[in-house]
Amino acid sequence: MINQVQKKVLLLALKAGKLMMKSGAEIYRVEDTITRICKACDIPYVDVFAIPTGIFVSLDAGDADSNVYTYVKRIKGSKIDLGKISKINQFAREFTTTDLSIDAGMEIIDNIAKQPLYPLVLRLLGASCVTSFFSMLFGGDMIDFCIAFVLGSGVYAISSLLDKVDTNFFIRCFCCCAVAAFFAKLAWFLLPTVNADAIIIGCLMLFVPGVAITNAIRDFLTGDMLSGLARLCEAVMIALALATGAGVALSLWGLIGGSI
Amino acid sequence: MISLLLSFAFALVVTFGFCILFHVPKRHIPAACFIGASGWMCFEFCGLNGYDQVASCFMAACLVAFLSDICSRIFKEAITIFVIPGILPLVPGARAYHTMTAFIANDFDKTLTFGTETVFMACSIALALMAVASTMKVIVFISRRLTQL
Repeated sequence: MINQVQKKVLLLALKAGKLMMKSGAEIYRVEDTITRICKACDIPYVDVFAIPTGIFVSLDAGDADSNVYTYVKRIKGSKIDLGKISKINQFAREFTTTDLSIDAGMEIIDNIAKQPLYPLVLRLLGASCVTSFFSMLFGGDMIDFCIAFVLGSGVYAISSLLDKVDTNFFIRCFCCCAVAAFFAKLAWFLLPTVNADAIIIGCLMLFVPGVAITNAIRDFLTGDMLSGLARLCEAVMIALALATGAGVALSLWGLIGGSI
Repeated sequence: MISLLLSFAFALVVTFGFCILFHVPKRHIPAACFIGASGWMCFEFCGLNGYDQVASCFMAACLVAFLSDICSRIFKEAITIFVIPGILPLVPGARAYHTMTAFIANDFDKTLTFGTETVFMACSIALALMAVASTMKVIVFISRRLTQL
């Protein structure tokens, strides 16, 4: 029979794993963290199987007449937050090397979960930095820089707004790119010297599936083929959403009489 | 040379923006920015020296993966924190956009050319990440064995 302490350990480990998975960690890191936390609390048999949408953990007290306990955790939605991955990584190291109590550990995990991203104003500024300087890298000039700066934070604001009302990532990427392409073309219509391509590319780079590609490869490398494939599919879907979003906006622009 | 330095500076700001968006811990932002910017400069430098886009992308991604691996070992952090902001500027968003515009203009020759290039660039990033991660693993394994002797 598994005792109360071990159950607490299981909950702690699962919470840590769930947070990591939601923040965009690789599969092996999640599995490794859960296993290490459980092993540190002297649970003799732990096995974890994680995929991007769920974590399955089994543990056994190791007696002849003990039952195996299995916990299934469904993970919904994800929000990339590298700060949380770093914090939980540190926590796991601390938890396994020092004799931190389980309740204290739970408190730390809860605190990490509550930790917000950087403030919205700063993130808007970050988005502006990305779009504006990318448009410069792709051959824009000062006017393009200014337009991309404004458009970048606008598009990011739309993205976070759509995120709040719980739309899926496909619609989100689609809408943001359509808006970016439309306004870039509008700017080009009003000011013919504007390099619309540079501005649109700058805005596209905000939503490019770099995280999905990187994680897919790292999952493939550790042998988690299923998760790797899932993330690769995600990357392709995001890329398709971006292309169709910008494409539809440009086609509409052509339909209402502007030249592409 | 000046244009290279300028693009280094721009890429520095770009990576800084990604760091903010993905909530990289404050103390690692300088390292992550530097990695992203040097990756982009490697990409530009290879392009100037006559390599095609795919090869330059491969080399730049190799550099990013290598530097990130070193940083993650120095700071004892998850490698993701450095790789993700560093790789993002190299993702072929521009090529994908040109593919799409060519498609809209019914220019299927160009669509195919740009599309293939986009896919190959993404593949070269993947290949670079794999190659560097595997090589680093072997190097670390051997050096550990050597120190044990």
